[in-house]
Amino acid sequence: MKQQELGEITESPLTFRQYFTNIWDAIITTYKGMKITLKYVYGVKPVTVQYPEEREELPLNSRSRLFNDVENCIACMQCATACPVDCIYISAVKRDKDAPKVKTSSGSPVRLDLTMYTIDEALCCYCGLCTTVCPTECLTHTRDYEFSQYVLDGMKYDYLSPEIRAWRTRLIKK
Amino acid sequence: MHNEWVNYINATVPTANAVLVQPQGTTDAAGVTTPGCGVSWITVASEEVKAVCQALKQGEHQFTTLQAITGVDYPADGQIEMTYVLASMSKNSELLLKTRVARGDGVKLSKLPSVVSVWSAANFQERECYDMFGVVFYGHPDLRRILCPDDWVGYPLRKDYVVQETYRDMVVNPSKKMNIPEREFGAKHAHIAGATTSVENYSVPAPVKE
Amino acid sequence: MQEKHYKEEKLKTELLTVSMGPQHPATHGVLRVEIKTDSEIVAEATPHLGYLHRCMEKHSENLDYRAVIPFTDRLDYLAAMNMELTYVMAVEKMLKTEIPVRAEYIRVIVSELQRIASHLLFFGTYAIDLGAFSPFLYVFQEREFILRIFEELSGARLLYNYIWIGGVWNDITDDQIKRIGTFCDTLDENLKKYHTLVGENKIFISRTADVGIINKDVAFDYGATGPILRGSGVNWDLRKNRPYGLYPKLSFNIPVGTGEKGKVGDCWDRYRVRVLEMHESIKIIKQCLAGIEAGPIMGKVPKIIKVPKGEIYMRTECARGELGYHLVSDGGKKPYRLKVKSSCFTHVSMLPAIAPGMMIADLVATIGSIDIVLGEIDR
Repeated sequence: MKQQELGEITESPLTFRQYFTNIWDAIITTYKGMKITLKYVYGVKPVTVQYPEEREELPLNSRSRLFNDVENCIACMQCATACPVDCIYISAVKRDKDAPKVKTSSGSPVRLDLTMYTIDEALCCYCGLCTTVCPTECLTHTRDYEFSQYVLDGMKYDYLSPEIRAWRTRLIKK
Repeated sequence: MHNEWVNYINATVPTANAVLVQPQGTTDAAGVTTPGCGVSWITVASEEVKAVCQALKQGEHQFTTLQAITGVDYPADGQIEMTYVLASMSKNSELLLKTRVARGDGVKLSKLPSVVSVWSAANFQERECYDMFGVVFYGHPDLRRILCPDDWVGYPLRKDYVVQETYRDMVVNPSKKMNIPEREFGAKHAHIAGATTSVENYSVPAPVKE
Repeated sequence: MQEKHYKEEKLKTELLTVSMGPQHPATHGVLRVEIKTDSEIVAEATPHLGYLHRCMEKHSENLDYRAVIPFTDRLDYLAAMNMELTYVMAVEKMLKTEIPVRAEYIRVIVSELQRIASHLLFFGTYAIDLGAFSPFLYVFQEREFILRIFEELSGARLLYNYIWIGGVWNDITDDQIKRIGTFCDTLDENLKKYHTLVGENKIFISRTADVGIINKDVAFDYGATGPILRGSGVNWDLRKNRPYGLYPKLSFNIPVGTGEKGKVGDCWDRYRVRVLEMHESIKIIKQCLAGIEAGPIMGKVPKIIKVPKGEIYMRTECARGELGYHLVSDGGKKPYRLKVKSSCFTHVSMLPAIAPGMMIADLVATIGSIDIVLGEIDR
C-alpha cells in the first residue's frame, strides 16, 4: 500500500511567479506571527510562580497527602478494603471490657484499639476512594504537597507515632 | 437487526452455523427474576470466521471497519471465546461476532484463521490476542508478541496465569514484595487479637510549611 | 592508469536501519519505531510497542467496579475524563442506572473541557515537533486554566477519579460556571490568534500540507477513528451518529478535512480538524452552561456494585478517537474481563502503511499529527 514509490519525488519546477509568491507568503505570514509573539513579549504578564519563594495554595478539596486522625478511627477497615492498590495497613486488638469507654468526636463508640495504622504513601495513587468510605471522616486528604524523602521507607507513615501528632497540631492550627 | 444478520451469514456461509445469543435473565433460588442486560451477539463456527468476516464486509451489510478483536478465557469450559467487534459506518450498526476455540494447555495452542486479509486493522489486534491468550492465527503475516517481550513465558490474560519468577536474570516476581514489611499483604483480616506492628525505619514526614 | 580494486557492478546500496525512540522526543512517549531508510527516505517503518505496558486489563479483573476508575484514568492521562466517562457509562448501562440531569450536564462540560485541554496539548507539542516553541507556552497557559478548574472540581490535576458510577463526585459551583463561561469567550478569540500564528504560517504549511496523506480507504481498512478519520474527509462522529448522554440535545457541527492547503487527509487537515473541534467544543460547553439545572448529582447506586451477568461493548468519542470498553460480567463484584479498545493502538498500526516513501522529517510530522498517547496504546 505504498503511496509513493521509493525515490520518486516528482515536483514540477516552480514558475517565476510561484517562486516570488512563495517568498511573499512566507514574509507576510511570519510577520503576522511575529506580531502576535511580540504582543506576548510586552503585553502579557508573566505567569511563572517563583516556587520556593512563592508557594501556591492548592484548592480546598485537592487530594494530596493523607492524614488519619487516629483518635477518631474505629478500625472498621473500610478504607483498606476500598483501596485499589492495597497501601493501607491496619491491625487492631479488641478493647478490654474494663478499660474506660472511649467515643469518637461524632459519638460512635471505639470497640477496637489500633495497634497499627500505616499508609505507604509511595504506593498511594491519590484516588480518594478511601476518604469517601470513611464513616467517622477521620481519614482525610490534606493540602500538603511537599513530602519528599531520602529513603523509600520514609514514605510509610505510621499515624500512631508522636511525630505525626505534632503534624496534626500544626494542621489544625492552620 | 441481528436476525437479519444471522440469516445472511447462514445463507452465504452454510457451514458457519451462526446462532443469535440474547442476554438472558436469571432466576435465583428465591424466585426473583432479574432481566438480562447488555448486548446480543452472534456465534459462529471457528473455522469459518474468515469466510463470515469476508461476507459481512463485502455483502449488503457493509461492515467496513473492524473495531477490536478480544478474548475471554473460560477455564471451566476449557475454551477461549474470541470476540470480533465489527462496525458499519454507512449503516450505523455494530455487531459482536463470537467464536470459541479450545483453550489448550499453554503449550499446544489452538488455531483460528487470520482476518488480516479482510481488514488490515486485524494485524495488531490479532498480535495482541496471541500475546495475551495464546491463540495462533494462521495466515497472519507477522505473528509476534506485541506488548510483552518476545521471550516472555505464558499468556497473561488467561485466568490461571502465574507470573514467571525471573526474566533474563531479573527478578520480576519477588516472593517478598517491596511494600510488605515482613507481614501479610494488606492485612485485611487483622482484626484478630495479638497482631503487632512491625513497621520499622519510618522517618518523620518533612515539615510542610514554616 | 591505476587499476581499480573493486568492480563497479558489484557495488550495491543497502537500507540503513535507524531506531527512532524509545527515548525520542518526537514519539511523545516510549514508542520505538524501527525505520529502514534509503538515504533520507523511509522504506519501512515498524512500530514496537509495550514499553509502558502496565497490565491494566489484568489488574481490573481483580478490583471491584469502583476501584477500576482510577486505573482507567491512567490509560490516556491527557484525556482522563473521557476515559472515565466511557467506563462508567458501560457499567451504568449494565446496571440500568438513572443519572440525574445535572450530573449529565457536568459530565458533558468536563469531557468537552478535557477534549479542549487534550487538543491544546496537541497544538503545542505539534508546533514543537515542527520547530516552533512559543505556541507551546501560549497554549499551556490556556490549558492551565482547565487543569485548575478540574483541580477545584475533583481534587487532582491529571488523574481525576471524578466521574463516578451514578453521577459525579463533586458539584460545580456558580462561580466556576461563570469562570468557565468567560474562559470560553477568551479561548475562542485566542484560538483564532494561535491559528494565525501556527496554522497559517508558510513554513508550517510546507511542513504539513501534502505530507502523511491517509486516504479514506486506508482509514477504513485500518479502522481509524476520531480526528484522523475526519481529517480524511469522512463525516463520522459518535456524538452525532450514535449519540449518548446529553449530546442529542446539543447543536454543533462536525469539522471534516477539506484539503484546504494540500490533499484531503494530510497532516494539515488533521491539525485543522482539531482546531475546529475546539471551537465546536466551546460551543457545546456554552450551551451546557446556559442549560444546566439545579438538582442532585448522584443517582441511586447500591453500596456494593454487582453487575448482572452479561456483556457490553460501549464506545464513545474520545479526544483521540473512539474508545471502546468490552465489559464481561459473570454477576460478581469484579469485572470478569475488561478489554480496552484504544484508538491510538489502531492509529499506530497505520504507520507501516503510510510511512514508506516519505522523508524522516515528514515521519516526525506524521506521528505528531496522529497524536498518540503511549499510556493508551500499551495499557
